[in-house]
Amino acid sequence: MTVKPITKIIFLSVLLSIGILLVVLSCALFHNYHPLYVIAVFLVAPIPNAIFSNLNANYQSDFLSDSAPNGNPFKDFGEFVTGIFVFSGLVLPIVFWHVQLIVFWSMIMSLSGGFIVYASIILFSMFFHMSDDDEGFDF
Amino acid sequence: TTMDEHRLFKFPVFRLPKSATVRAMGMYLSGALYAIGFWVLLDAALYSKRVNASLVHVTFVDWVPAICSSLGMLIINSIEKSALLNNDASFMQPSSTTTWQARVVLFIGFSLLATGIAGSFIVLILKFLIKGYNTFPTLGMGVANVVSNASIMLSCIVLWVVQNFEDDDYNYSLAL
Repeated sequence: MTVKPITKIIFLSVLLSIGILLVVLSCALFHNYHPLYVIAVFLVAPIPNAIFSNLNANYQSDFLSDSAPNGNPFKDFGEFVTGIFVFSGLVLPIVFWHVQLIVFWSMIMSLSGGFIVYASIILFSMFFHMSDDDEGFDF
Repeated sequence: TTMDEHRLFKFPVFRLPKSATVRAMGMYLSGALYAIGFWVLLDAALYSKRVNASLVHVTFVDWVPAICSSLGMLIINSIEKSALLNNDASFMQPSSTTTWQARVVLFIGFSLLATGIAGSFIVLILKFLIKGYNTFPTLGMGVANVVSNASIMLSCIVLWVVQNFEDDDYNYSLAL
């Protein structure tokens, strides 16, 4: 079964807006706008990966003839930094709750909201990156 | 095709994920573990600043073990792993010098990492347990230090193991 791209885009935008709605609601209902940082962190999260995987292409074309047994350090570093950001976004509401910056239900809402925002970003890259990456990935 | 000859399991259903995927997952996992280390410590510091009712507070001393661990992790994982694998019987003379240098730098890195772990226990014992702060909301700030350094070390281990995966499909070795 194939899904049309427009359906995917609509689905993803709805998902993204639900996530952002949850986070904004977790701020507005409790008059405490700390959880907005979660959205910022999640939006920043895929950027290192994107930048460093572009460096990756240059690196590989330069050193393709060399035997490089240890893969690509730039790509690895980008993935590492992205991992840091994603996890930071996930634990940020818990830390805010633990240090009593936000209340418990605000934490729950911003946690789930942040998770949905990131899931939609991931799904977007999965839906639309796979087709043109396939041949490079599968050699 | 060549893929089928390298199959590990008898049933074609089971197969290990490609080493590139495992590698990427390992990198994300390592980053996540490092983030745990950082946020646990930052949480302890913020807790000490905002909520803490006891007399003991998180100061710069509590950050020193984590800084040591992070420096050690940076040093260990910046080393080109192939430089370590050269034996002294190698036919090129300069490469054995590189190997020696790599071993020294690696030793410094591991020492820093061990110092970080040991330092976190030292902080826990000398700053909290010895002075009688052994009830939980206060002790939590000391335990956070140990948890933080342990997860930074775990992150370093994951990064190290994943970097040593061979690039070809299916058969990767865990050298060193």
